Amino acid sequence: MTRYCMVIDQRRCIGCHSCSVACRVWNDVPEDLIYNPVLSTGVEGEWPNVHRNWLPTLCMHCEKPACVPQCPTGASQQDADGTVWIEYDKCMACKVCVNACPYGMRDQSKLQPRLHQFIRKCTFCRDKRKMDPDAQPYCVATCHQKARIFGDLDDPNSEVSKLINSVETVRLLEDLNTGPQIYYIPALGGTR
Amino acid sequence: MAEIDIHAPGVEMVKSLCYFCHANCGVLAYVKDGDVIKIEGDPNYTNQGGLCCRGTSALKHVNHPARVNHVLKRAGEKGEGKWIQMDYDEAIKEVADRLNQIKAESGAEAVASAGGTTRTDDWARRRWLNQFGTPNGFHNALLCWIPTFMAETCVSGWSPFETDLGGAKSLILWGMNPGASTLPGMHGYTDLQLAGLKIIVVDPRYSETASKADLWLPLRPGSDAALALAMLNAIMYGGMCDYDYIDAWCSGYDELMEHIAPYTPEWASEITWLEPDLIRQAAAMYATNRPGCIQWGCTWDQIGRASTTGSHAIALLRAVTGNIEVPGGDGMPGPALNFLTDEEMEANETLPEEQKAKQISRFKLTSWPGYTLISDTAKRQWGKTLPTEWFCEAHGPSVFKAIITGDPYQVRALICNATNPVNSYGDAKMVLEALKKVEFLVTVDYWITPTALLSDYVFPAAGALERPIIVTHYGATDSLMGGRRAIQPKYDRHDDYMFWKKLGLACGQDPEMWPWENIEEAYWDIIEPLGLPIESYDEFVDNVRMYYPPLHQKKFEGHGGFWTPSGKIELNSTIMQELGFPGMPTYIGTIENPIDTPELAEEYPFVLTTGGGFMPYHHSEHFNMPGIRFIYPQPFFSIHPDTAEKLGIAYGDWCWIETRRGRIKMRANVEPEVDPRVIFCPRGWWFPERDGSADLNNPFGCLESNVNTLTSVDAEHCDPMGGSWANRGLLCKVYKCTDIDHEFTADDAQWSIPGSVSEPGVTVMPSDQPLAREPIPFEKPQPTKDVPEGYYWVWQDDGIYNKESHFKLDDSGWLIDPKNKAYIDAYTGWRYDAAAECLVDDATGQQYTMDREPITYVAGVRTYPGQAAPYEVPSTLTWDTELGYARLGDNMYIYDPNSGWMIDPETNVYHDANYGYAYDPTAQNLIDMATGKRYSMSYEPIDENPTAEQGSAAEPSAEAQVEAAEAAEEE
Repeated sequence: MTRYCMVIDQRRCIGCHSCSVACRVWNDVPEDLIYNPVLSTGVEGEWPNVHRNWLPTLCMHCEKPACVPQCPTGASQQDADGTVWIEYDKCMACKVCVNACPYGMRDQSKLQPRLHQFIRKCTFCRDKRKMDPDAQPYCVATCHQKARIFGDLDDPNSEVSKLINSVETVRLLEDLNTGPQIYYIPALGGTR
Repeated sequence: MAEIDIHAPGVEMVKSLCYFCHANCGVLAYVKDGDVIKIEGDPNYTNQGGLCCRGTSALKHVNHPARVNHVLKRAGEKGEGKWIQMDYDEAIKEVADRLNQIKAESGAEAVASAGGTTRTDDWARRRWLNQFGTPNGFHNALLCWIPTFMAETCVSGWSPFETDLGGAKSLILWGMNPGASTLPGMHGYTDLQLAGLKIIVVDPRYSETASKADLWLPLRPGSDAALALAMLNAIMYGGMCDYDYIDAWCSGYDELMEHIAPYTPEWASEITWLEPDLIRQAAAMYATNRPGCIQWGCTWDQIGRASTTGSHAIALLRAVTGNIEVPGGDGMPGPALNFLTDEEMEANETLPEEQKAKQISRFKLTSWPGYTLISDTAKRQWGKTLPTEWFCEAHGPSVFKAIITGDPYQVRALICNATNPVNSYGDAKMVLEALKKVEFLVTVDYWITPTALLSDYVFPAAGALERPIIVTHYGATDSLMGGRRAIQPKYDRHDDYMFWKKLGLACGQDPEMWPWENIEEAYWDIIEPLGLPIESYDEFVDNVRMYYPPLHQKKFEGHGGFWTPSGKIELNSTIMQELGFPGMPTYIGTIENPIDTPELAEEYPFVLTTGGGFMPYHHSEHFNMPGIRFIYPQPFFSIHPDTAEKLGIAYGDWCWIETRRGRIKMRANVEPEVDPRVIFCPRGWWFPERDGSADLNNPFGCLESNVNTLTSVDAEHCDPMGGSWANRGLLCKVYKCTDIDHEFTADDAQWSIPGSVSEPGVTVMPSDQPLAREPIPFEKPQPTKDVPEGYYWVWQDDGIYNKESHFKLDDSGWLIDPKNKAYIDAYTGWRYDAAAECLVDDATGQQYTMDREPITYVAGVRTYPGQAAPYEVPSTLTWDTELGYARLGDNMYIYDPNSGWMIDPETNVYHDANYGYAYDPTAQNLIDMATGKRYSMSYEPIDENPTAEQGSAAEPSAEAQVEAAEAAEEE
């Protein structure tokens, strides 16, 4: 079986936002949406003992997604490899899934024509991978720092498996039991 | 948008390079029907497949609706924004006529040219300027590497800028933030750091890179020179030098030891705001974790008066720790010896000496006087030299002042190529005034920038994907990387080479000086000497892409010293002394600082730093691209929360930031990113979304949030050696915009010379302003020995050198070529070939005897016409004195003494020296041409009854030889 996941190495991320832009350029994301924003609380601490981290995000492609069962039309779906995606032809933009997602990773573009205002989100670049099974999602391929690593968690030799099995990782809002498939390697902390 | 299939039929993959910053990341462009349909990062290039937000947006850049696509000629008043679209070649003709007219009336020097960050070679511009006859080309080079390069070259003979990080144990990233400006580099640093490399970051701001550092030194902005001197003191007086290295390769150690004594960490502590122990810790971390690297940072060249002092001190840090040109240290590539350098493409010999003297710059290190000393040294030591583009330029701000004041003479025309000086040069309102005042302004750009708006002609530029790109690191290294053009330029866009070529030809320049049809042909000329089995530049990119000579560290051992005038690393630089500068770094403070100007600090209590590159912009570029502007849509300055609280400033408030020279507004980013005493403002801001013509005091808002409104370019505020002006370490005050005081008006930034809001206008002529430091008189020693005509004497090494070639005259009477250490005949310039015992003219390949007689060859055999046989001639042969070789009977075969065979010069067939039988290499036997009879190699007749296979193999070959021999006889 294949079970896609992403490891995000916060030790390496330097907050350049290239992932967000690459996603928007190649997935043709409307300008009022970002599928994978890089969040930061800015510099924290008492000068000069300060620290700063970046939190690159995207759809968590949960094992038990909260959004999919809520969809009244079956537009929100999950592939066997774990990819959560939306079949636009079936979406009526009722936004039930937007409210259901605990990570806020789904939204609707107001810039689109009315009939195209369906709900959009990250699909781990499902279309790109369908065309080329070895392809990496755009946010992963473009990352200079190699802070985003994508792969098959069920393959013990994949880079993601090796990382998850060797380095301590955390997942966001794990206590909600949706089984998010984005694993973060936390940064080492501040300098000095 | 459906997913684009790059594997579809008809899609070609082109190896290109990104063009949006200096990193020049590798790009794979997928082209279909003459248009790029998709790009991705090249996984086999320095960026390892990565592309930042700018690079990823390249297609949006190529097809951006606001791009200038045709020549625009001004139709209304300057800045009115009314244009006529013109044919490219017609416009070139009009511009050329006007420039020629100005040249005829005022001299070629009245035409100047400002260049931008072209991120590839820029020799075509210099080639044009030299032939036109003007010395007044300039870039923002003085804020970016060049003064550092020159200071480092004075110390060690080249800039040690190629870090060997794989073998390094420590790394100082000083005033650079690769986390926001050189992402491929940051990737490498991060990998190495996770593997154990210690990284020290020197930055007043808690930058992206500082957030990953092992040790971070948040110094007072602009105090870098004091920190470097104190670290040098700590290392030298802490006994942490590499004494073997100093003994063998450095001179002036004792003088430096004495000179550096006052610059203790305690002394620097007050200036830098760093604890003495922290300075000692950083010094020890660098000096004891050897080998180590110090990566150049742009800040070194942006701290105004102290710029070159700082980089000079840092150059000495490397020297005393033995980190120059050693494995794991900072390597000096030297000029490219295996392919043409940018300098060889510049046609510098076409600029007359009297025009060189007219170059507008009082800063000798980076203009013709210093360049000549450094360049002649390079020619003596390396055999090639630095380009004049970047390394020998006019002082940009002084040219703008000359436009306004006519001092030292009136500059009447300005060609801005890929630059928007209002945003990128210091004292922005003065620059804006100069752009408005200049009689004739031509701009080559992608967009209607504030500069383009004020122009008489705007030429459309080809950008990334539309032009090939060659990376030669400003022509200062021996490696080379290349990218192809993915598509021909769209619309009427032209690459730089075509612009300068067309302008040159229209100005009446010799077409033979512009021989290349397109830039790829010129690039092919550059790389052809590499001798690679390829036939075009595009083939180079497809198959080689990156050329690196074999890594050769410790080149100084083979060279017998360093590439300075004395052959040592000069801890007390003789070139600096000769130019009237201190030979060792001597502290000078920034123009405004709390210690030297306390009265100023009372009114302007905060230290301003104007920052380096920041995502997602590069210099003043990319503000027009909504797809990346969303990351940073409005200008924000950084202020510490404690300071903000005292001033009543909350996050997002619009505030005024004011120096003595004006004020700008930005929004407050309140976070402990900077010291409570520091204000950090990013640079470059303008607002392309506005109507530029609406307010010509501030077109496109190019002054109101532009930190360069606050900087100073006064002569006495510039670095007296390199000419850098101050972008760091200025004093400012900050206060909130209020309901009645929130509109930027013309009075907020009035232009003046020198820059001062209180006294607008020209209050002093630029030439009358003193420099920050008086020149120190230096008397050059007189020659201690006779210097022959055509030669000159170098006082540092007591050597005599040829004026033309700069080759050293050896005691043996021969010249020595530094490139390959070959002996050169002093009279003819021919190289001595020891193996063949002859002289060789490398230009033609012709060989000469040691008596300088041409050596002739027939059929590859050397002949000696008019001489007795110089080798033993077999008794069957006779020596022909007239022809100079041994013959067999009457035939024309030539005896080859090396092989003992006769060679037929017509056919190159070998014949034996006894009977003249031809050798058949296929059958491996001999054949008598007259009879067709065959003999074995020991002259045994062979029966004409060979096996079928042998016969079929041997016969055609033998017949061919017979025919050839007959043909030869007939002639």
